[in-house]
Parts: sequence; C-alpha cells; structure tokens
Amino acid sequence: MVFDKELFSIVTLSLEVSLLAIALATLIGVPLGVCLGRCRFPLKSIVVSAANTLMGLPPVVVGLVLYLILSRRGALGFLSLLYTPAAMVLAQWLLALPIVIALSHSAVAAVDPVIAQAARALGASPFQISMAVVREARYALSSAVIAAFGRVTAEVGAVFMVGGNIAGHTRVMTTAIAMEVDKGGFELALSLGLVLITISLAINVALHLFQRKGAQPSG
Amino acid sequence: MPLTLSVSGVHKHYGGNHVLRGVTFEFGEAGTYVFMGPNGSGKSTLLRVAALLERQDEGSVGYHSGAETLKADIALIRRITLVLPKVGVFNSSAFENVAYGLRIRGVGRKEIKEKAEKALDSLGLLHKRNQRAALLSSGEQQRLGLARALAIEPEVLFLDEPTASVDEKNTRIIEDLLVSIRKEANRVVVIATHDKEQAAKQADRLLYLKDGRIVVP
Amino acid sequence: MVFNLPVRSMASPKCLLKLIGLAPLALLVLFAGLVLVTNFANFTDLAWAGGKEIVCASTTSTENSGLFAYLLPIFEGKTGITVKVVARGTGAAIELGKRGDADVVFVHARDAEMKAVEEGYFVNRRDVMYNDFVIVGPPGDPAKIKTAGSAIEAFERIASGGHTFVSRSDNSGTNIKELDIWKKAGLDAKGRKWYLEAGQGMEKTQRVADEKRAYTLSDRSTWLATKDKDRLDLAILFEGDPILFNQYGVMAVNPGKNPNARYTEAMQFINWLVAKEGQEAIGAFKDAHGNRLFIPNARLDAR
Ligand SMILES: Nc1ncnc2c1ncn2[C@@H]1O[C@H](COP(=O)(O)OP(=O)(O)O)[C@@H](O)[C@H]1O
Ligand SMILES: [Mg+2]
Repeated sequence: MVFDKELFSIVTLSLEVSLLAIALATLIGVPLGVCLGRCRFPLKSIVVSAANTLMGLPPVVVGLVLYLILSRRGALGFLSLLYTPAAMVLAQWLLALPIVIALSHSAVAAVDPVIAQAARALGASPFQISMAVVREARYALSSAVIAAFGRVTAEVGAVFMVGGNIAGHTRVMTTAIAMEVDKGGFELALSLGLVLITISLAINVALHLFQRKGAQPSG
Repeated sequence: MPLTLSVSGVHKHYGGNHVLRGVTFEFGEAGTYVFMGPNGSGKSTLLRVAALLERQDEGSVGYHSGAETLKADIALIRRITLVLPKVGVFNSSAFENVAYGLRIRGVGRKEIKEKAEKALDSLGLLHKRNQRAALLSSGEQQRLGLARALAIEPEVLFLDEPTASVDEKNTRIIEDLLVSIRKEANRVVVIATHDKEQAAKQADRLLYLKDGRIVVP
Repeated sequence: MVFNLPVRSMASPKCLLKLIGLAPLALLVLFAGLVLVTNFANFTDLAWAGGKEIVCASTTSTENSGLFAYLLPIFEGKTGITVKVVARGTGAAIELGKRGDADVVFVHARDAEMKAVEEGYFVNRRDVMYNDFVIVGPPGDPAKIKTAGSAIEAFERIASGGHTFVSRSDNSGTNIKELDIWKKAGLDAKGRKWYLEAGQGMEKTQRVADEKRAYTLSDRSTWLATKDKDRLDLAILFEGDPILFNQYGVMAVNPGKNPNARYTEAMQFINWLVAKEGQEAIGAFKDAHGNRLFIPNARLDAR
C-alpha cells in the first residue's frame, strides 16, 4: 500500500470533481425530475423515456462528443476548458444528469397520490403540495443522487478523453488506475482501487439504508 | 359567527360517468350534517367538491360568513378541511403529521407545539407523538388523520367515512370526539358514512344520497 | 427543501435520523459550493487566472519513464510556465497537435513528425534526445541472434527458426519500429504461428515474452526500469544497430494553422529543452533504479 501525496491528491481531485458534478446534477436534475413527476404537459412521456434512455449513455460517447465541442476547434473551444478538471466536471455532469432526472421522476411518481390529496386538503399551496411529495420521496431522491455518484466515480472513458489524465492536474482515481496497470505500477493502482472500492462500498451501504427506510410502510 | 355553506345544482362527471346530478343543500348554521347512501352514490365526490378540492362541472358551492359570500381563494380553503377515508399519513413522526397544517400556514414554533399536542391529546395519541406515523396501526392512523385536521382548527370540517376499516375501540374514540365537537356547536361538520348507527348518533340533520341526488329515503 | 423541526424533537436521536432525508443533498451542494469557490482557478484553465500554461502531447512511454515529472518542475520554476502533458499513442499525440488541442508535441517517430511538419501543422522541430531499442529474449538465445550482424539479420534468424516473437501490436513507436524491421527483412510475420500479437503496452508485452520464452523488441528505458521489478528471465540479446536508435523530437504547433495555439510559451519550452540547461537536465535524469534512460543530442540548427 502506498499512501503518499500523489495518492492523496488523486483521491481529493476525484472526489472534488465527482461531488461538484453531482451537486450540479442534483441542483438541476432533482427539480426537473420532480417537475416531470408532478406536472402534466404535452410530450411528457417522450421526455421521460428520453431521460431513461440517456441514463444508459455510453460514457465514451459522451467523452468523445464533449471532446469535440471543447476542443480548440470546437464550438466551445474559446473557453479553453479541454484538459481541465472543469471539463471532467462537465462530462460527469452530463452522465449524471439523466440518471438524476429519471430516478427523481420515478421516485416522485412512486409516492402514493393520497399524500398530495392530504396535503391539499390541509390547505397546502401547489408548491407546498409538491414539497410534501418531495419530502415523502426524500429517501428515493437521495438514492437517485447516490446512484448517480456511484456511476460517475467509477467512470473512466469520458474523463480520460476530456481530462487527459494529466499528472497533478486532471489525474483521477479511475484514469490513474488504468494508467498504472498499463505501466505495471500495481502498488499505486491497488491502493487507488482500494479507495475506490471503499467509496463504492460506502455508496452501496448508503443506498441500501435509504432504500430500506424509503420502503417502510406508508399507508 | 360560524362559516356556513350552500351547494346548489351541482353536477359532476368523470368521463361519461355522471356522478353528481344536481345536488342542492344549505348548511346555514353550526351542527353536524351526515350524508348516507350506498357505495358509489357519490358521497366522497360530493365532499371533495363541497370542500373545494375539486371543481364541479355545473352549479355552485358557496361559503358564507353571515350574509357575506366569501371568495373561493386559498384563504378560504385554509379555513376548511377534509379528512380522507384513506388518511395518507406523511412519512414522519405523528407530531410532524399533525404539525404539517400549521407549518404551511406559517404558525410559530411554540404555537405549533401547543396546538399539535392538544390535537394529539384529544385523540389519545399524545404518547405516540414521536412514533413514525407509518408504523401506527390503521385505527391510530385514522385518528391521526383526524388530529391533523383538528390541529388547524377548521371552521368547516368534512369527514369521509371516518370509521370505516377501524376497530371498535378506535371507532369509540373517534365517535366520542365527534360528539364533543357537536356539543360545542360552533362549526359545521359534514360526515359521509354508510354506518346507520353512527349516522343516527351524530346527525343534527341526516341526508340521503342515491345515484348522485339527494333523496327522501 | 429541509423542513423545520421543532427544537425538542431535534434533540432526540430518533428525530435526528429524520434529517438524513434530504440532508445529504444539502451537504452535497454546500460542499460543492466550497470546492467551486476555493478551487475555481485550478479547475479551469490557468490562463484564465492569469497563469501561463501549455499542453504538451507526448507518448505514454515517455511519460511513464518519469522524465516529465523530473524536467517540468525545473522548467516551471525557471519560467513560470506550467506544462500539462497529455500522454497518448504516437499517432494520437501528433493528431492532438494537428487539431490544435496541444501546443507542443514531444514524440519519437521521426518520419511521422517530419511528414506533419511538411504538411504545415508544426514548426521548429528539433531533435532533443534519444534512447534505443533492444531485442530481448530467453538468456539461452535459441535463435542465436547474439552473433547477428544487424537487427534485420536477428529478425531473420528468429523467423527462420520459428522462435516465438511477441509484438506489441498497439501502433506504438516501438511497434512501428518493429514492423519497419520486418519489412526491411522482407518478412511478413503477421499471422505466423510463432508471431504473437499482444496488443499491450511495453511492460506487459515483456511479461508475455517472459512467460512464452519468446523474443520481443523493447526500448531500453522500459527494459531497464522493469526487468528487476518484474523478475523477467530475459536478457538483452541484440543492441547497437543504428536502426534501433529512437530519436525524440519536439515541435511547436503552427500558429498559422491553429491561431489559438500558445506559440510563444511553446517556443520557450522548446528552446529550453534544446539549450544547455534542458540538455543537461535530460542527461542527469535517472529512473528509480539509477539508470540513465535518455541521451541528449540536440543540435542548435532547427529543422
Ligand atoms: N377520481 C375519480 N375518477 C373517476 N371516477 C371517479 C372518481 N372518484 C369517484 N369516481 C366514480 O364516481 C362514482 C361515485 O364515487 P364516490 O363519490 O366515491 O361514491 P361513494 O363515496 O358514495 O362510495 C363511482 O362510480 C366512482 O367510480
Ligand atoms: Mg366514498
């Protein structure tokens, strides 16, 4: 096991990038998913199935498209974001967003309609009704966010393409593991792998807890 | 002066299903009004429409304070409430459930505690205040639904099948409370039930609903 | 989204549990905000924050040698320019430069570099240093390549004896060199029973060769860096033929083709590499085992 500065900085950057991406995805995805679950509008079913389809977006494709856009010759090249952590945040955000939207939608849609009726009968405004439903779905919503976090932290392809795996700048756990294995640096790879496994274990325990809490009888 | 209510010529359709076919009544003074009728006669629908939770297709629902007819806005809606047959408890503590109606009205913390505890107490649930509502028995949940409604001190209280699917002991607690509310004689209470005994015990006035119309039995 | 809780119920541990509902989300957003505020400059291009920064496209093997980790801090300390190394295969590295996504390309594929310069994508190509390729194989040397007069002859002996040869087959510089030698020997090794295509990096390919008791073409840097660590039962059996020399070159992206390229800083880097200071640093660089991996050989004339 190696627990040196390099390992520490890789782990820190990974967490920072993923948490930032997830926070942004949450900020936008949860309200959107809740809206999808609460509102009725034309083409809603198309939007929902689009989100569900995008959930399975191949990360390398996201990476490739984003690379082409951020590339100096790309549409957003003037921002010079290619090979920066910001680009990785963007990639992970794109991967997380459909997951957060789709899972938030189903979390809210799964809430017994009688909850909204009860809130309404007690004098809640439309917004307060939505909040009551959100509150009812809170464990499932947290699960949605955690699931998305699990996916982005384990992702290699997209962050490699737009981040570049630059030492000290954009090297995160997954890209570092891929590289270390390639050059035979099994020690660092194993240490990083252990950290990654610990994180995903923690994620799964949290998911399990939330799902169990959320599944308790409500009727 | 109690809040009173008049319903006139109300029709309601669900698709091709003509559920309410011209319902007219006036509850012009405080008291307990009971609707009886077979399943599917439209009692629940009528209560939802009268409680302003659903819009009628035709006719009018009016609330009055003395001679004045009030505008059907959120302020008015917040003066009345309906306890659903399936209570729909929130996934939080019994206390939080009862506090909900007060919170959304922006009531202060101290007052919430006072009123919520009083409502819980009136239904014998004070000792369960910190219990998760979802883990209460169905009878206790029904009582909680009533406590939740009472906490906001509604001026008109609608109860849809308040004791259906509730055991004897819980039925007695609920009925005793309804009797004491009736004794206070300061507000309109509207109950829908198909329990004859309950109707006889509670009603100041008894109305029969059949196929969406008020009929003489 | 977080509902107020009454003071008393907050105090009981049971009710604290209630908070975990949406609390993770709130915490998350809070943390992210912190990261954003404290790290914004690091997260975006340094140039935004007024710093100077260039992207250098290079090869995986060059980066893995540790050379950049040694050189770049010296250069940055001297000039304040941060060099971000993106390590790819030779072809991909040159392509990055052609697209303008790098400012400088530092690879070891002279012919390909020259071609790209002729096409106008790059300017100011300079030789920087070299290392060399070696043929390694089982110490018993069943193909008797030790006595071969040239690398081509060594390959011929391996082929004619049907001795197993492991190829990287990953389009790397080493692989290109290997294919070049087969071609010069007039042999079509691909598809033969004794010719194994590993499709892997150099170190893994060496390990495959070790297991198969086979020959392979390696670069001296990787060989020196890994032979003890991986306990390879292989030995250098042929070396020294000029065809096995691996010339590293550096070139700047042509600002005429890619106006966004940071040409000034790129040229500062190139000039430093080929000047006395850079050359001495390259010569002084040793790997973890104390081996010198690269021999500086810049000449002052630009090509
Ligand atoms: N939300 C609804 N959507 C469609 N049909 C409904 C709805 N609510 C009630 N109905 C229909 O209206 C009729 C009357 O139902 P309801 O008012 O619940 O009667 P009751 O409470 O007297 O049993 C039934 O045929 C029922 O199926
Ligand atoms: Mg009914």
